[in-house]
Amino acid sequence: MDLNTIFFGGLAVLSLAVFFYFGKFKASKEQTDRDDRINWTKGSFNYKSCLTIALGIFLLFFFLSFLGLD
Amino acid sequence: MRHQALNTFGRSGNPVFGQKFDGDAQFADLPASQKMTLEGTINKTGILLLLCFFTAGISWNIPNPALMIGGMVIGLIAAMVTIFKPTMAGSTAPIYALAQGLFLGGITVIFEAQYPGIAVQAIGLTFGTLASLLICYKTGIIKPTENFKLMIVSATAGIGLLYFVNIMMSAFGGGEGIGFIHSNGLMGIGFSLVVVAIAALNLVLDFDFIEQGSEKGLPKHMEWFGAFSLMVTLVWLYLEILRLLSKLRR
Repeated sequence: MDLNTIFFGGLAVLSLAVFFYFGKFKASKEQTDRDDRINWTKGSFNYKSCLTIALGIFLLFFFLSFLGLD
Repeated sequence: MRHQALNTFGRSGNPVFGQKFDGDAQFADLPASQKMTLEGTINKTGILLLLCFFTAGISWNIPNPALMIGGMVIGLIAAMVTIFKPTMAGSTAPIYALAQGLFLGGITVIFEAQYPGIAVQAIGLTFGTLASLLICYKTGIIKPTENFKLMIVSATAGIGLLYFVNIMMSAFGGGEGIGFIHSNGLMGIGFSLVVVAIAALNLVLDFDFIEQGSEKGLPKHMEWFGAFSLMVTLVWLYLEILRLLSKLRR
């Protein structure tokens, strides 16, 4: 087994252990007791802004590609 | 009739949460055993990962384009059914995981043949990102807000549009489509880094959805839905990391 496998394999195993252990705990009060949490319970999502930003990102990369940058 | 859970929980950066909702329904009348919990969602994510690893192992040992393409198509169908019928997530999410395993195993073999050692690097970095962001979320280092959600959803949609146009251009005679998506130049690597970052930040939205879902006590099947959403993001993140690493080693 080479160093690459030991390091990244170990990272994967350790990370999965962290995920399965800490994932079961509730988030800290600092995370949950906030006024600016995402409100999943009402339709406050701004679709117009989302579409504008998405198109902006698309056009930016498309323009860069058009200029021949890679 | 739309399920109550969808009326309560709406859109996130993750496409699987792309449902509309109308009100603020409560699930207080559900017995505790039928409510979504954090532990249940994490356990179900474990089951999905095991299923995915199992079929990825098969596809890795018996590389076959038919298995890969079959896995991709079945995975897409299972994902669509799960998104539009979350009540069926208990059966469709495992099918999605099994199918994606076939696809990922096959594509990993292709990359591994070209760049030995890349698979274990991509797996390590994917789960490393998952664990790091989970700790950042749980401790409150990263605090997702409405603006955060807007930015991540928008960026995800923008990248999706770019990939779609790229596929269309490639399919209809535009050469290799949008050049830098595949190039290993500065722009190509920078683009991949941005996409990896956006995919990783989608995990934060998934964590927040699952956290709030368990706080509200959504119906039990939403555990499968939450686990499925994490799987979708992890599969995307893994593929993008694989692509980024291959660009760096070219």
